[in-house]
Amino acid sequence: MDHQKASELFSSYLDGELGDAARAEVDQHLAICIQCRTELAEFRKAVGGLGALKQTAPSTFLPQIQRQIFLRSRGRFFGGRWKLLGRIPFEWVSLATIIAMLVYYILHLHGAPTGVRPVP
Amino acid sequence: MEAILDLASEAPVEKPRIGRLRFGKRVPFQMSVAESQLIARLKERDEQAFNEVVRAHGDKVFSLVYRMIGNRAEAEDLAQEVFVTVFKTVDSFRGESKFSTWLLRIAANHCKNRIKYLSRRRTDGSGLDNISEEKMSDVGRAPLQSHIDGPDVLMEAVELEGLMQKAIATLDEEHRLLIVLRDVEELSYEEIGEVTSLAEGTIKSRLHRARMTIKEYLARRTR
Repeated sequence: MDHQKASELFSSYLDGELGDAARAEVDQHLAICIQCRTELAEFRKAVGGLGALKQTAPSTFLPQIQRQIFLRSRGRFFGGRWKLLGRIPFEWVSLATIIAMLVYYILHLHGAPTGVRPVP
Repeated sequence: MEAILDLASEAPVEKPRIGRLRFGKRVPFQMSVAESQLIARLKERDEQAFNEVVRAHGDKVFSLVYRMIGNRAEAEDLAQEVFVTVFKTVDSFRGESKFSTWLLRIAANHCKNRIKYLSRRRTDGSGLDNISEEKMSDVGRAPLQSHIDGPDVLMEAVELEGLMQKAIATLDEEHRLLIVLRDVEELSYEEIGEVTSLAEGTIKSRLHRARMTIKEYLARRTR
């Protein structure tokens, strides 16, 4: 095994994905090659360092998302006490109002006597 | 709902996906009962379910976005966009992959779009140069710093983190995504395949190239 071949197997070697035979071959090469040992140590350090880069979301993360959705949905979601009213679609409110006005007109205005008698 | 929500136009559309290979046959992904119930509630726009999703996946998404973009303020903004998109497009999730990988795919697409946008604005260097200063004002939050006492050691950790972030930033977006998914977020190759739609062999070879680039960058800077 030469440097090039050994170096190509570094990732699989570190991930534990090499078969027994291939791993033994890399180990044999590392035992006699200081250049590859140094490179593998640097490679291991680089990959290991990446694992420490995890981040946690800021504490205001969830409230900020809720606010974004609240604003973009024009208050339909994450709106607190107005939640129930906000969930009723505007179209249904309009339809109910029109029906109510129609019923009122039929019952109280259209069918009611005016109190004026026709001239005989 | 979709008509009312004025959301990002860059929202990715769920592509038809093939399930995992098992005994030579493609089989659909099996979701757990708890997860499928959570998704069902999410599709009904249950706010509590959405809160649970943000609490469960918020750190992972933020971490991915932050390491892809390299700027905390941009990352906060973009990670929020990811969850707003999830809230909007959850109906397109058909349960053919893990919900977490679907979520990360949305995050990855957002990151790629933002990187292109930022490079068009030629502001790509502005965030990265400020990392050390930003981290100094955020002492205690970063994992590298959380267990360190002395100011010298703290300074060293901050510098190392800044150096690692700069090393990641030298990669193109495809290689950067693989490095972040595998070495920062520690996803399996199968999960990375679901996020990126790449074959395992391709992932491994690209990841190796990306790792070598980072190793060489760090070696040059620390010698």
